[in-house]
Amino acid sequence: MTRRFSITLRLTLLFGATSVIVLLALGYLITETVEHHFEEQDLDILSGKIELAEHALSGITSRAELDALPQQLKNALVGHYGLSMTVLGPRGQTLFTTPNASFTPALLTLTSSATERVSTDLVVWKNGGHMHRGLAAVIPIAFMESSPVTVAVATDISHHVELLGTFSATLWWAMGLAALLSAVLGWLATRFGLLPLRDIARISRETSIDRLNDRIQLDTLPIELKETATAFNDMLARLEDSFRRLTDFASDIAHELRTPISNLMTQTHVTLAQARTIEDYREVLFSNVEELDRLARMVSDMLFLAKADHGLIMPQRETVDLARELTELIEFYGIAAHERDVTLQLEGAGIVMGDRSMLRRAIGNLLSNAIRYSQPGGVTRVVLSKTGDGDITAVVENTGADIAPEQLPRIFDRFYRADPSRHASSEGAGLGLAITQSIIRAHDGKIQATSANSITRFTITFSHAVN
Amino acid sequence: MKILIVEDEPKTGAYLRQGLAEAGFIVDLSADGIDGMHLALTEAYDLLILDVMLPRLDGWQLLRAVRQAGNEVPVLFLTARDRVEDRVKGLETGADDYLVKPFAFAELLARVRTLLRRGKTKELDVLRAADVELDILRRRATRGGKKIDLTTKEFVLLELFMRRQQEVLPRSLIASLVWDMNFDSDTNVIEVAVRRLRAKLDDNFPRKLIRTVRGMGYVFEAGDGE
Repeated sequence: MTRRFSITLRLTLLFGATSVIVLLALGYLITETVEHHFEEQDLDILSGKIELAEHALSGITSRAELDALPQQLKNALVGHYGLSMTVLGPRGQTLFTTPNASFTPALLTLTSSATERVSTDLVVWKNGGHMHRGLAAVIPIAFMESSPVTVAVATDISHHVELLGTFSATLWWAMGLAALLSAVLGWLATRFGLLPLRDIARISRETSIDRLNDRIQLDTLPIELKETATAFNDMLARLEDSFRRLTDFASDIAHELRTPISNLMTQTHVTLAQARTIEDYREVLFSNVEELDRLARMVSDMLFLAKADHGLIMPQRETVDLARELTELIEFYGIAAHERDVTLQLEGAGIVMGDRSMLRRAIGNLLSNAIRYSQPGGVTRVVLSKTGDGDITAVVENTGADIAPEQLPRIFDRFYRADPSRHASSEGAGLGLAITQSIIRAHDGKIQATSANSITRFTITFSHAVN
Repeated sequence: MKILIVEDEPKTGAYLRQGLAEAGFIVDLSADGIDGMHLALTEAYDLLILDVMLPRLDGWQLLRAVRQAGNEVPVLFLTARDRVEDRVKGLETGADDYLVKPFAFAELLARVRTLLRRGKTKELDVLRAADVELDILRRRATRGGKKIDLTTKEFVLLELFMRRQQEVLPRSLIASLVWDMNFDSDTNVIEVAVRRLRAKLDDNFPRKLIRTVRGMGYVFEAGDGE
């Protein structure tokens, strides 16, 4: 079972845990250092005192001097609060001791067997609510036939321990607070950092077919989210564009159908309103047939496009010799070209894999257009060639008035007519280029249009990968 | 020539019957699949025209039943659904041709005649109509003994007209049969082509052989004069 924690929770916990770990390590380090420092300090003082006692003891040569020892040591210890000392003779008799001195036997017996003259082993013990740290040494005295004397010094370290305790407690509190604080800060930072994501979520939530125009503001976004947001915006733009085309198409269909249907209805109603001659009726039927033909053609073209949109156009894959097909197409359209005094030319060759009759239709539409928009005496040229990459291109170009740059991107749109005055003329419903584009796309090809310097050029590229 | 139409749309059915009857065929009409199948299996028809979507038994099933009974009558399908699968299915099941609705009646008539003619008439090498003679093998056309200069396509066009005299040929059919243009292309081209052929064939003769049928197409009428 995997629980999905929110990013906010994860980052908050992470921040908290990290600060606890860091503070723990730091606290441990500080405590250790301070403790060590105190120990060093104690060792310095204690070994100093031992040296003092050693110095005093080594100077004893007579009984009188031995009797003066306590006073001498007492003087040496003046001003050292919490310091206690004991000096034991070879047989364990106390030669000197400070008041209230209480040494742990562990310290005193430890030294009797020690080989080192002065040990550096500090011993810590507790006595009556006070912590002591002590050091002991065995010192031979010349006066007593070099028999060893045990010297033990101790210092009260309660205040150190207390200090360390307070320090630890403070540290724990600080640690807790810091962990809490960094968790809160982490939470805030995450919330704040993720705000742009909420923005994206809000826009996603509010996006509907009526509101496809919202975009995420990129300039306020952190760099990490820019890519996601750009992709998201692009997706919205594509959706908006497709949707706009679709709605345009739907309303265009309604509009395009309304005109001929309205013509048919008016004409038929008017004709039926009174008795007429057979000739009149025939005339109306002729006229109706023309309108109906156009309607039928439009419907079948729209069906073709609808199928293309749903990927239902499945071109056959056969070898198509474009030059041969074009020769035949030119033979057909040449008749129309001749009428308009337009010269048709074909250059080059190219073989592609595809659906012969669909490709004829696609290129036929281009030829038909090119001839229609060539000025009288002009030239329509088809050039087939192979690019360096092995792609096959078919260029259909005609001389004649340019297509305005702002119209160029729209010419493949359904029902789009560059010149609105040509509306409803005999040349069809303005679906030809859309159909051509659909066919080329179904063949994994590309089609582009350029228009400049009185030459309008359509370039179809068949990818070598398909051929 | 006897034709069975199975079509459940009453208006379409009635007009098809009328149109085909007026074109000289004997026509039976049935409005549902089961009745249609009975007629097809019990009567001898020269052609079946089947709608795909039919009540009780659809066009494919009807066709299968007919073929299983060993009946090889030509079948023309009418379909409102222009789907690739439909075509494949139709031709696999043994249909001979199909038309997608809406279609021009002249187109239907032309297809019907093609199917009925299939394999029956011997293709003549020399066609004669009125005072026109067309020598297919030598690619020579004469009218009243005088040679007419025709381009290759004009020759093919005239051959089509002469082989299908008295039939109204829609522009789309002409484009398809002569130029192999199987989509709704520029019909203007056909008009120009026919006008040119006429100029060579009819202009110098009082009797005009190619007539325009407005809204439908062209017809070659050799008839024995009016």
